[in-house]
Amino acid sequence: MDVLLQTLLNGAAAGGVYALVALGYTLVFSVLGVINFAQGALFSLGGYLTYLLMGGHISVSGGLPGWGLPIALPFAAALLLAAAGAALLSLLVERLAFAPLRRRNAEPLLSLITSLGAGLVLVNLLQLLMGAEGYAFPAGSLAGLPAVVSLGGARIRSVQVLLLLICAAVVLLLTLWLEGSRGGRALRAVAEDPTTARLLGIDSDAMVRLAFLLSGALAGLGGGLVGVSVSLPGPYFGIGYGLKGLTVLVLGGLGSVPGAIAGGLLMGLAEAMVPSGASGWRDALAFAILFVVLLLRPTGLLGRRLVEKV
Amino acid sequence: MRRCSAGLAAAIGALVLIGQQSDPAAQRIQQGGALTIGAVIALTGNANLYGQDQRLGINLAQRWFDGRPRTAGSPAPPRLRLQLEDGGSDEATAIAGFNLLINGGALALIGPTLSQQAFAADPIAQRLGVPVVAPSNTAQGIPQIGHYISRVSAQSSVIAPLSLEEALRRDPSIRRVAVFYAQDDAYSTAETEIFQEALAARNLNPVTVQRTQLADNDFQTPITAALQRNPQLVVISVQAVAGGNLIRQLRELGYRGQIVVGNGLNTPNIYPICQRWCDGILIAQAYSPDLDTPINRTFLRLHQGVNPEQPPSQMTAQAFTAYQVLAEAITRLQQQGRLQGANLGQARSRLMQELLSGSYDTPLGPIRFRADGEVLQDRFFVAEVRMQPDGRRGRFALVRDLSLASKPATSPPERGSP
Repeated sequence: MDVLLQTLLNGAAAGGVYALVALGYTLVFSVLGVINFAQGALFSLGGYLTYLLMGGHISVSGGLPGWGLPIALPFAAALLLAAAGAALLSLLVERLAFAPLRRRNAEPLLSLITSLGAGLVLVNLLQLLMGAEGYAFPAGSLAGLPAVVSLGGARIRSVQVLLLLICAAVVLLLTLWLEGSRGGRALRAVAEDPTTARLLGIDSDAMVRLAFLLSGALAGLGGGLVGVSVSLPGPYFGIGYGLKGLTVLVLGGLGSVPGAIAGGLLMGLAEAMVPSGASGWRDALAFAILFVVLLLRPTGLLGRRLVEKV
Repeated sequence: MRRCSAGLAAAIGALVLIGQQSDPAAQRIQQGGALTIGAVIALTGNANLYGQDQRLGINLAQRWFDGRPRTAGSPAPPRLRLQLEDGGSDEATAIAGFNLLINGGALALIGPTLSQQAFAADPIAQRLGVPVVAPSNTAQGIPQIGHYISRVSAQSSVIAPLSLEEALRRDPSIRRVAVFYAQDDAYSTAETEIFQEALAARNLNPVTVQRTQLADNDFQTPITAALQRNPQLVVISVQAVAGGNLIRQLRELGYRGQIVVGNGLNTPNIYPICQRWCDGILIAQAYSPDLDTPINRTFLRLHQGVNPEQPPSQMTAQAFTAYQVLAEAITRLQQQGRLQGANLGQARSRLMQELLSGSYDTPLGPIRFRADGEVLQDRFFVAEVRMQPDGRRGRFALVRDLSLASKPATSPPERGSP
């Protein structure tokens, strides 16, 4: 029983992070119909920003060896500021990689390539500044929390529980905002039909910017949370999460917010269920699930079939 | 018709002449000119953590060589120019780096970082007759690629079991061993085979073998499974950052027994990851900062100048050694006048002969080469990581200095290196 509980908690914590990344993709995809491949790089950036804001220093092989911010914020404040930083950078990505092509009515495929390029530039800049080493947050980053908590006989690292709770709270808040607020409804309207939304007086460009801001913030949050949970293994670490988020996006249904959440949780739980002796096959399992779901439901778990009028 | 034939012959002659002039191997070595040593190391991709250490080692060696005092009356040392190329962490980038440097007229090459890259890139150097010194390839069969290929990195089949012996010496009652390794990494799978065979030779069958992935950093699930088998010893073969995370999470989840790790964690870069939880892990090494020899003291002093925070890693020391052996062999060649009048191809060939015939006093200890380019190293070390109370800095403290017979192990086979 305790093993099952432990497995469920592990899976839900991982799934929560996948859902955050997939939600970022979903927001941009729903308003623009393109995938922002820089999302993984923003994830990395969120991790590094959180580290620096908590008083971390750049290592000897970084661009500014030994440099650090003159502040050492508590984890919660650092995480929020890092999310804000990633959001602003996401906006910059939109300005540089998406907006010029959108103005020229370019093929969506071109935006995909420019966002991939923006992501690679960002990751390489991170490597130039921070070096290739791994960074771990100081041992006392989560002051007051014990290293391990026992839940129903299962021993789980408390940071995993925290990660799960924060992901759940963010997903809930975002869903409530999208459903209940004026801004959320405007964003959904643009996602539904940009032309009609514009006729109704909604500034669709502003909504696009808002989608990028939110998706960047989600990526930044995810990076900071994973960073404190395990470590920052190198500037490329966000790319792996970005790819997993992309899988979740397709699994849940392109552009579907509930689909991204359900897909993330399903993916996380399925990975955790892989027998420990075969845990090296986790990624293979993830893509096998995707394959089966797409065979049965080509639009993903909660995606809608789009009917094109001719 | 005759005119046409003459024209054709002239054209062919011109092409041959142009071909010869553009073949770098055919070009004469300029007297007093700089000789290029090329280095292809991983500065990007998964292996860049090792490449950063290697770049530092090569740069320190260059500084050491250029700053050596000259004895009165001795000829001027050769002017060496270092050309560094990013070999990425894949075969294609390493091949591109090799081609670029060889065509650019490099006298010899250092690299590449990974054995998998070496198996792809070294045959190019072999075919074109360019000496290669590998600073970190530990796979079986690297020097056997050809007679222009050598290495200063001893095979881990020689080194890895030493740390296991130390753990069993400390606690002979150990019967329950858990093994972790990254199953999608050639180096990790090769090393775990060595570890598991060493365990089997001592009648210790692992109670659990946990397979992870190269990019894994969250090990809660495999650790939980392993701890249910109550291991007394954990043996780990993964790369550096993943290993640091694994150790930290093992300790956080309550494991208190001994931990033996492989060559992938042979870098101080693990300290910031596992912090105070690194304390006490055992590792076998081909280099120890505690080795008290003049050349190692010089190396430590140079390293201290650029990184006062921590002592040099094995990767840095091996990269230093790779440059050192090349620089010393070139110096001897020049002093013997064997570079005079030679073209680059001849110089490369003579350098390889000289390299293999010499013996070298290096930070790794005294080394020399077997005729096939395999390194012969006598001294190996077992170290224990000792972290400072702040948990941010630590060192590989020497616990055993072992002199082995100077012959490379021939079995068990390995496939990869970090």
